[in-house]
Amino acid sequence: MAYIELKKIDKFYGDNHVLKGIDLKIKKGDFVTLLGPSGCGKSTLLRCLAGLEQISDGQIMLDGKDITNEDPKDRKIGMVFQQYSLFPNMTVEENLSFGLKLQKMDSSEIHRRVKDAIEMVELSGKEKEYPGSLSGGQQQRVALARGIVIRPKVLLLDEPLSAVDAKLRKSLQTNIRMIHKELGLTSVFVTHDQDEAMVMSDVIHLFHDGRIEQSGSPVEVYTKPATSFAAGFIGNYNILDSCDMERLTGKEWPSGRIAIRPETFFLSKNEITTEDYCMRGTITDSLPRGNVLRYTISINDVEIYADVLFRSISMFDIGDRLNIGVSDHNCVRL
Amino acid sequence: MRSKRKTYILALAPFLLLCFLFEIIPVIYTVVRSFIPEGGTPGFTLENYINIFTGKLYQRAIANSLLISVLSSVIGLVVAFVGAKAVHEEKGRLKTVFMSILNMVSNFSGVPLAFAYIIMFGNIGVMTMVGANYGIGFLADFPLYSVWGLLMIYVYFQIPLSTLLLIPAFDSIRKEWKEAVALLGGGPAVFWRKVGIPVLFPSILGTFSVLFANALAAYASAYALLMNNISLLPIRLSEQFVGDIIQRPEFGSAIAVVMIVFMVLAIAVQNKMMPKKGGKR
Amino acid sequence: MNVEKKQNTGAKIAIGVIIVYLLLPLAMTMIYSLFREWIDIMPTGFTLNAYTELFTDTLFWKAVGRTIVISVVPIVLCTVFVLLAMYVVVVYHPDWNKMIQILCTVPYAIQGVILPTCVLSLYSSAPEPFGNRMFMLVSTYMVVILPYVYQGIRNNLNGIGAARLIEAAQMLGASRFYAFFRVVIPNIMGGVTISVMLAMAIVFGDFVIINTLAGGHFMTAQMYLYDVMKKSGQRTCAVIVLLFLVTLIISAGAFFLQSREKDRKDR
Repeated sequence: MAYIELKKIDKFYGDNHVLKGIDLKIKKGDFVTLLGPSGCGKSTLLRCLAGLEQISDGQIMLDGKDITNEDPKDRKIGMVFQQYSLFPNMTVEENLSFGLKLQKMDSSEIHRRVKDAIEMVELSGKEKEYPGSLSGGQQQRVALARGIVIRPKVLLLDEPLSAVDAKLRKSLQTNIRMIHKELGLTSVFVTHDQDEAMVMSDVIHLFHDGRIEQSGSPVEVYTKPATSFAAGFIGNYNILDSCDMERLTGKEWPSGRIAIRPETFFLSKNEITTEDYCMRGTITDSLPRGNVLRYTISINDVEIYADVLFRSISMFDIGDRLNIGVSDHNCVRL
Repeated sequence: MRSKRKTYILALAPFLLLCFLFEIIPVIYTVVRSFIPEGGTPGFTLENYINIFTGKLYQRAIANSLLISVLSSVIGLVVAFVGAKAVHEEKGRLKTVFMSILNMVSNFSGVPLAFAYIIMFGNIGVMTMVGANYGIGFLADFPLYSVWGLLMIYVYFQIPLSTLLLIPAFDSIRKEWKEAVALLGGGPAVFWRKVGIPVLFPSILGTFSVLFANALAAYASAYALLMNNISLLPIRLSEQFVGDIIQRPEFGSAIAVVMIVFMVLAIAVQNKMMPKKGGKR
Repeated sequence: MNVEKKQNTGAKIAIGVIIVYLLLPLAMTMIYSLFREWIDIMPTGFTLNAYTELFTDTLFWKAVGRTIVISVVPIVLCTVFVLLAMYVVVVYHPDWNKMIQILCTVPYAIQGVILPTCVLSLYSSAPEPFGNRMFMLVSTYMVVILPYVYQGIRNNLNGIGAARLIEAAQMLGASRFYAFFRVVIPNIMGGVTISVMLAMAIVFGDFVIINTLAGGHFMTAQMYLYDVMKKSGQRTCAVIVLLFLVTLIISAGAFFLQSREKDRKDR
C-alpha cells in the first residue's frame, strides 16, 4: 500500500487551474522527485502536501490517514525551503530544538537529538552561531537538520539547492542522499534541474502544466520519454517527425514524433554496418560541452545534434562528410 | 476545516475601530457638516463654500496659505538640491556630520522655532537691536510679524525635511552616467541638465508635494508668532472651533474640506511621482 | 583631478553654509538662555538662573511627565493595534494589506490642524467616553502616528520574510498564532522600536493637537512652553533647550538602536 497517496488533486488560484487532477502514490522510504520547469505546479503540489496551501478538490492520504483538512502543524511533515527560512534571532541549536520544544520533549532528549542532527549535516562546532553568520550552504544544512530533527513522516524539500552555488550543490546533494539512506526517510524533492533529479531520485515525476507528464525511475524517464515535452525537457533529445525520419532513413515511418538522444548516434568516416540505419551527412557546426563535443549535422536537409565523447580536438571538422548510424531501439516513438 | 473558524478577525477589530472612529468618521462628518446651513438647521447648502471663496478674509487666507506653502517648498527644494548634491559629491566625515545635523534640526519646529526667530528678529530681537544700533536698516525693520517673516520660518523647517528626502534620490545617480556624458564630450552642466535633473525629476516633484502638504497644514509656528492675527487656512480653520470668537462649526467644516482637497491633490501628485521600486529605472 | 577637487570644495562650502544657517537659531536660543541681557553683538551677564528656576519648578516637571505619558500611551496602543492587524494580514489575508495601507495613509491628508478639528467637531458634545478630552487626545495621537508605525512594522515584516518564517514554524509544529507572536515579533521588535521612537518625537513636539483638543486643561511641555513665552524670554529659551535635548536623546536612542540593529544583521 502506498505511504502517501494523492487522489485527484485540483488546485485553483482564482481562474488559474494550477493542478489538474493529480494522482500520485509514493512508497515508504522512497526518494521521490517532482521535476519540471518553473510554473508547472510542482511546488504548489508540495505546499498542498505540507498543508501550506489548501487544495480545491481531492484527497491527501498519509500513512493510512486522511490529512486533507489537517493543519500543517499536525501533519508531522518536515520541510526544507528554498530560502532556508531559519529563525534569525535563534542560534543553530535553538533553531533545531524549536520543533522539539513544541512537542514538549524533555531537555536531555532534545539535546541528544539536536547533537545527532548537527553531526549528520556536518556542522559540529557551529551550534551557538546565528544563521546570519553562516554561509548559504551552511544555512541550508541547518535548515535540513531542522527538518529531520523532528523525525517527520515525510521530508519535503522545495528546491533546497537552487540558492546555493554550483560547487556546494554537489556536496549537499550527496549529503541529502546520505541522510535519506541513513534514516530511511520518505522524501519528496522538488527541482527544475534534470541532472539533479537524475542523481538523487528513486522515482521521478515529470510535471508539465499542472499535470504529471511521466513517472518512472531516472533511467526509464531518461531513455524512454513518453511525450515530446518529456523528451525535450530531459536529455536534449532530437525530436523529429515522420517526414524527417523518412528523409534520414529512406524508409517509411508511421506518423508521429520520434525522439533520438544525441549520444546514441554513431559517427564515422568509414562504412557503418553495426547500426540499423546508416546515413550520410555534413558537419555544419561543432561545440564543446564539457566532456562531450556536440556536432550539428545536416542529413538531406534535416538538422540533428550528435554528441561524441571529447577525446581529441579534431576528430571531425566542419564541412566534413561522414557516415552516421543509429539503432532502431534508440528511436523512441512518442 | 480550519478556515471556517474566523475568530482571527477579532485581531483586526482594534485597528479598524480606531481608524473608523478617529479617521474615517470624523472626516465624513466634516464633509457632511460642510454642506449644512450655519446654525445647524437641517438642509443642504453650498453657502459655506461660497462664503469662503467670496469673503475677503478667507480669500486672503487661501492666497496666503498657497503662497507660503508654494514659496517655502520651492526655496526649500532649491537649498535641498544644493545640499543633497553636495552630500552626493562629499563622502567623508562632513557628510555624516551634515546628516546628523539635518536629523537633529528636523525636530526643531513649531513653537520653539517661532520663538527662536522672535529672539532673533522680533521687536526686541538680537538682530533687530544690532541692526538699530549700527544702522543696518533691513535688520532693524525686519518684517517678522508678517507673511514674509512667517515664510522665513517655514523655509527653515522645510530645508532639513526636503534635504533628507532628496539625498536618497541622488543615490540613484550613477557615476558611470557622468563618465558616459564626459566621454561624449559633455561637462557637469550638460550632465545635470540632460541627465541628472530629468532622472531626479520625479523625486523632486514628489518631495515638493510632501513639503507643500507639510506647510499647508502647519499651525504651531504661525500661531506662536501671530496668534490669530494672520490670515492662513489653518488659523482660520482652528478659530471656527476653538477660542474666543464665535464658533462656526459648519463653516469651519467647509474650510477643513477645502484644505483636505489641497492635501489630497498634493498626495496624489506624490504617489504618482515617487519612484516606484522596480519601475522604469 | 582638478575638477574633482574644485567640486569637492564647492560641496564643502555648500554644506558648511547650510549647517551654519540651520544651527544659527538653535545656537542663538541656547546663548539667549544663558545670559541676562543681549541687546548688542555680545550678550552680557552670564547666568544659569533660568535653568535653576526651571529645575525647581514642579509645574515644569509635571508638564514633562504629562508629555511622556501622553506620548507613550498612544504609541504603545497604536503599535499593538497595528501588530494585531498585521497578524491577520500576514497569516490569513495578504490581500487585505492594500486596505490597511490606505487606512494608514489617510492621516497624511488630514495632518496638522485638520484632524484635531474634525475630531473635536464630531465628539466635543458626544457622551462618555468619546466626549472625554483625554480619550480624544490619545486616539488622535494614535491616528497621527499610524503611518509611521505601520511603515516601520511593514518594512520589518518584509525584511525578515515573515510569511516564510511562519510557514517554517508551522512545519515544525507551531500554530500560526504562536509562529507570529513567538517567532516573527521577537525578530522585528528591534526595528519596530526604532520607528516607534521616531513617532515619539512627533508626539513630543506636538502643539496643535493638544492646543485644539485640550486647550489649557492638560498642560504638556509644549503648552508650558507656550505659556512661559508670554512671561520670560530667557526662561522660554531654557525650556526650548531642555525640550530639544530630550527630543535629541529620543532620536539619538533610535539612531543608536538602528546602528546596533545593522551590526546584528551584518554579523
